[in-house]
Amino acid sequence: MATINSKISEEIRALAGKLLEEKKIAAFLGYCQGSLPMTARPFVARTPEDTDKLIWNSFCVLNLANYLPELLKSLEPPRGPRDPAPEGPLPKVAILATGCWSRNIVIQIQENQVDRDRVVICGVGSRGMVAQAKVKELFDGREILEVIEEDHKLLVSGNGFNEEINRWNVVRDNCLTCIHPDPVIFDIRIGDEAGQRKNDNRFAEVEKIDNKSTAERSRWFTDEFASCIRCYACRNACPLCYCPTCFVDDAKPQWVGKSIDQVDTSIFHILRAYHCAGRCTDCGSCESVCPMGINMRILTKKLTSDVLNLYGSEAGMALDAPLPLTTYRQDDPQNFIITEQAADKEGE
Amino acid sequence: MTDKTWEPKIIAFLCTWCSYAGADLAGVSRFQYPPNIRIVKVPCSGRISPNLILNALRTGADGVLVSGCHPGDCHYISGNYFARRRFALFENLLEFIGIEPDRVNFSWVSASEGEQFAEIVKDVTARVKELGPATHLVKKFNEAA
Amino acid sequence: MPKGSVLVVGGGIAGVQAALDLADSGFLVHLVEKTTAIGGRMSQLDKTFPTNDCSACILSPKLVECGRHLNINLLTLSDLVSLEGEPGNFKAVVHQRPRYVDPTKCIACGLCAEKCPKKVDNEYNLGIGKRKAAYLSFPQAVPLKYAIDPDNCIWLKKPGRCGACAKVCPAGAINFDDKAVDHELEVGSVVLALGFSPYDPSELDFTGYGRLANVITTMEFERYLSPSGPCMGHMERPSDGKEPKRVAWLQCVGSRDINRSCHPYCSSVCCMFAIKQAVIAKEHAHGEFAPSIFFMDMRTHGKGFEEYYNRARENGVSFHRARVHSILPADDEGNLRLRYVNEQGGIEFAEFDMVILSTGLEVDKNTIKLAERLNLELDEDNFIKTDVFNPVATSRPGVFVCGAVAEPKDIPQSVMEASAAALEAGSILAPARWSATAVKEYPLERDIHAEPPRIGVFVCHCGINIASVVDVKAVTEYARTLPDVVFSQDNLFTCSQDTIDQMVNTIKEQNLNRVVVSSCSPRTHEPLFQETLRDAGLNKYVFEMANIRDQDSWVHKNEPEAATVKAMDLTRMAVARVRGEEALPYHTVKVDKSAVVIGGGIGGMTAALSLAEQNFPVTLVEKSAQLGGNANNLFRTWQDDKVQPYLAETIAKVNNHPRIDVQLSCEITEAGGSVGKFTTTLSNGQNLQHGVAVVAVGGKAYSPEGDWQFLYGQNDKVHTLLEIDRMLIDESEDFKATGQAVFIHCVGSRIPERPWCSRVCCTHAIDQAVKLKEMNPDMDIFMLYRDIRTYGQRERLYQKARALGIIFVRYDLDHIPAVSEDSGQLIIKTHDPIVDAEITLQPDLLVLATAIEPQATGSSVAKFFKCAIDAHGFLLEAHMKLRPVDFATDGVYLAGLCHYPKPLEETIAQAKAAAARATIVLSLDEVPAESITAQVDPAKCVGCGVCVEVCAYNAVSMDEDKNISLVNADLCKGCGACVAGCRSDALTLQNIGNEQIMAAVEAAFD
Repeated sequence: MATINSKISEEIRALAGKLLEEKKIAAFLGYCQGSLPMTARPFVARTPEDTDKLIWNSFCVLNLANYLPELLKSLEPPRGPRDPAPEGPLPKVAILATGCWSRNIVIQIQENQVDRDRVVICGVGSRGMVAQAKVKELFDGREILEVIEEDHKLLVSGNGFNEEINRWNVVRDNCLTCIHPDPVIFDIRIGDEAGQRKNDNRFAEVEKIDNKSTAERSRWFTDEFASCIRCYACRNACPLCYCPTCFVDDAKPQWVGKSIDQVDTSIFHILRAYHCAGRCTDCGSCESVCPMGINMRILTKKLTSDVLNLYGSEAGMALDAPLPLTTYRQDDPQNFIITEQAADKEGE
Repeated sequence: MTDKTWEPKIIAFLCTWCSYAGADLAGVSRFQYPPNIRIVKVPCSGRISPNLILNALRTGADGVLVSGCHPGDCHYISGNYFARRRFALFENLLEFIGIEPDRVNFSWVSASEGEQFAEIVKDVTARVKELGPATHLVKKFNEAA
Repeated sequence: MPKGSVLVVGGGIAGVQAALDLADSGFLVHLVEKTTAIGGRMSQLDKTFPTNDCSACILSPKLVECGRHLNINLLTLSDLVSLEGEPGNFKAVVHQRPRYVDPTKCIACGLCAEKCPKKVDNEYNLGIGKRKAAYLSFPQAVPLKYAIDPDNCIWLKKPGRCGACAKVCPAGAINFDDKAVDHELEVGSVVLALGFSPYDPSELDFTGYGRLANVITTMEFERYLSPSGPCMGHMERPSDGKEPKRVAWLQCVGSRDINRSCHPYCSSVCCMFAIKQAVIAKEHAHGEFAPSIFFMDMRTHGKGFEEYYNRARENGVSFHRARVHSILPADDEGNLRLRYVNEQGGIEFAEFDMVILSTGLEVDKNTIKLAERLNLELDEDNFIKTDVFNPVATSRPGVFVCGAVAEPKDIPQSVMEASAAALEAGSILAPARWSATAVKEYPLERDIHAEPPRIGVFVCHCGINIASVVDVKAVTEYARTLPDVVFSQDNLFTCSQDTIDQMVNTIKEQNLNRVVVSSCSPRTHEPLFQETLRDAGLNKYVFEMANIRDQDSWVHKNEPEAATVKAMDLTRMAVARVRGEEALPYHTVKVDKSAVVIGGGIGGMTAALSLAEQNFPVTLVEKSAQLGGNANNLFRTWQDDKVQPYLAETIAKVNNHPRIDVQLSCEITEAGGSVGKFTTTLSNGQNLQHGVAVVAVGGKAYSPEGDWQFLYGQNDKVHTLLEIDRMLIDESEDFKATGQAVFIHCVGSRIPERPWCSRVCCTHAIDQAVKLKEMNPDMDIFMLYRDIRTYGQRERLYQKARALGIIFVRYDLDHIPAVSEDSGQLIIKTHDPIVDAEITLQPDLLVLATAIEPQATGSSVAKFFKCAIDAHGFLLEAHMKLRPVDFATDGVYLAGLCHYPKPLEETIAQAKAAAARATIVLSLDEVPAESITAQVDPAKCVGCGVCVEVCAYNAVSMDEDKNISLVNADLCKGCGACVAGCRSDALTLQNIGNEQIMAAVEAAFD
């Protein structure tokens, strides 16, 4: 019986083939099967023949938008710094986009990284991606050799075991708390709408930390980030991290030291998160790729929650909505500002 | 309990037009305040990024104060409005990771608020003293060397 | 064509201001000063009220600027002898006495004074202490050149006898053969800023002045307090050098006194002068200090004065409403006993260690002679006579006057008049602007780009302002140890002319390429030092200041060690910051030679006319449907000049002036840009490009309410001053039948909600009372007042009112008059402090002297132009003492009631002053623009466009082709919002980049 994902995969292959065939695009950005179980690899199909490799499943955790600006650039004719801009339309790219990725693309368009006219957005409703780590945890060290996906369950097998688990139970935390699974912007629709997902409190994980004391939070933060090896996989996986020189690599001025120092590591994570303020769509790539299993996503989630509470906006929901740090209201909340009166009151 | 001989060092980023002028007025009016702050004059509170605040902490500041013109009074029209958004999110983020809220402070002080400036410095200094020396986000340069 | 030069006589603050304004707006100025140096009375003051600014500190930059100005020809030791000709074409003869020291050779080393054997009384210190016959009047003197006093020099009296100075002078500057010179100067107009003399109380026997050592005058005490004075700022009493603990100030010595001193006028400044001295003395005192001020009426009628008075009371200055009968020795120790009469007529005694006489201001005898020579009319008090509606014009066309020589007044008022006089003097010469001037040329700028940093540090004592708290020597020594610092030096006053000159030499000799001055605030002194760098061939942007005074010694008075450490830290931070600074190009903006004036009252119209008459186009914006503002309801000035004819004439002039575009029922909806190039949008949709703006949006009468309502609006016998004026304008017959009238003063003023004195109401009320009395001599008139504040010559009006039988009854806030009615009949009960009993009045007319409040529109207009407002809603000038018509925002000026309550003549003067300051900009083709601008590093820019969004000036745009941002340096104001907004660190602010800020921060922890 065909699963939802296999039907989507079919649709993707057919669409990509057609677009490439008709030369409407120069490349189709999707996924192919990864070499390990529970992995899907970003894949660029450039010919109709390539499209056979395209798949869609619950392990598509690497955000395709991350590759979009580079891919577009690579398709431009080579050009020196003084050469004039090429004439005529430039080659286009089609890309798969779920809710969060489409919002990343919105920001990429707003921030001039992506030319809307050169992208064919193929919207896919996300049913939530599976966290490999969660599955592995269930099998407690036993080597998983194969995972077969059905609509609502995963068939996990290895040496001497063959078990069935509920898919929803191993979906990534960011997907569990997602309320925008459907793309906010697309040119072609693939599959059915995922529909509004209900979530009573999508910031519960943030609140849990918020409710701790300062000392507890400090301990939590230190512990959580202690294992960071500064591999920058989180940064590299982020579709919104496109500074030519990242502040951690900057030598003039040197904002942080280059070694694995607790302070420098902390500052890296604080600034990385802050740079995503009002832009992060909680796609979860950073967390998914972390080799040390650090939950750095909680920092951006905190910012997402604050931006929503303070300024009433969510990242990338519309092309014409300004980014929260590029706009202001005269009556923005300012409880954090100390005043002489507050100073007096504290003193009493 | 903190060491009685310990005195905090507080970096204050003040905008030229309002808060730095307010600090001057505190001087002209001889309003006394504790000698712990080191003022860094910048054109506008909107010039201050979280990077610079983190850098001050990393370098060893026990406290940071950023002060600009009151909303609506910015010499550069809107610098303090943008700053207010940056600071609000940043302050919350620092609190979230366990930095004491009193370490990093933001205020509005106008050119005519010499007394208020002195009061705020007194208050911030007292609070930072209460916290004791900063430990998080402070780079131990000596040890590294 | 008229002459393009102006003669300014008098080198006090007023003369200096007038000279600077004229020279800056395109005229050659001959500044004539009778002594050896400019600075006048203000230079002798220690502190100034109400900000307690150090007088020398705020004055010195102006003196230095004046001394260095290319288009000011400074003539010291000079007097104006004669003036012939007519406006536009005068011939003046100026007699310059010999200095006997060649100023081109003198290096101000002081050896002549050191070796001079002849000691004489030091007149600069008012005879306290001695100077030599070879002398310098004060350390910051401009020009900083010694002089020999011919009346006392041994050689000059008997040639061959001494000559010690000539022997030791290393520069060969002593010239005993120096001769007087008569300069014949061709000038187009003349400004007289002749100042005042302090009244000499010797003739007042009751004071004991001259006989009792510990009775001194306020001017003398000022020298005692001054760090450059005879006691180096330590408070000592003359008899035994002990620090006095109990000090009394006696007000109105030589003022408001018809019987003894023949000075009926009020000297206007002495009340605040005494309060300030009491406050400052309390600061100077070690341990207990009990200041007492004996006064008749407390006259704190200026901006910020009433609050200063209130603070002084809270801080232990005691005030006695009493007239002192005599001062007698209390014992053999030098203590003094005061016998005085209290308000109830009782005689009391009090003992003091020292008594200070608040001596009034009078016209110098030489001024009277000069006025005779120049054929100028004097008024009955010998002040130079002026016209109410042109308060800086004398009786002789082309000759203008400013400052205390026209009436006793304080520094800001003098500065305002100086600018107004400059306007008038320049206005008639407008066609000759720039015809007689020279252009400043700087030496070629050294390219320091490839040089390793060589930093020089100059640490200032600021007299004792810094040095009494901070160990300046230690800071200087310490600075020398900092990396790249190749030179450090301490100076008594870094801003004095000699230090400035020396700094130029030091920069050259030491081959410095970065400079740090550790002294006061860059807000006041940075321009002066930056200019010095340019004179030394350095770019002005390789300069930093460490503020070790306003933000250190002044705020850590009791922690000298911590303050010294902090001074070292701040110096180190400045050094770290300057190390990374680079030479920047000087940007300029082309000036749109037109003005917008906001407010169509007398202030706005005067400013508009003043500019239009110099041929600058003006748009005058008035929010109501008619011109005239508050003046529409004013009957006459206190000197009996009718307002309505003047107003009608002014409105007609404005309406008919081809250069003035009047926009009625119109407001500003948007304003942007900066000095030289503003863009303003009006509510009628008009878009204006203009170089300057004058804000004169006026004030309004307080509408009585609450405790201060007094049945206003409920009983038709109750009126405000303006309503009565309206009736007088309309020639109402109503007053013929009035039997009794009562005026209540201070309605809504001088109370916690409105702590300011409204300045005009005492005079206005008394003038109205006099007018009523003149119309109906049988009318009984009672004035219920708190203090009568008929400052200056308005005091004569008060005396006239008393002579006419108008009765004055004082009230205080504990006994506010109670007004009730019984079948329409008003009943007023008030407490009379003299008889200590309640009195009841049943007037037919009650007039309320209501407060003046700022207009609400003031703050919105201020916001458009990014100008500050004070805590009460009045517009806040750039500096309360020396920049009374400027805003901190360049190119925007203020005048009239929106600044502070003031009478018509002062509004006119201020409006002309505002026009004078605006003229400086409009007379230039281009003005300096922001040089510290943002820059993009294309290699780091990702083109996200955040910078474009956060820029308030549209200075950042995207290069769409390359997808990186671009900064338009002409539009950039250097705020750094884009820099802080950039995640990629691709933007930097030149010399205020992240690297420089981080270097400063890191240096705080070394």
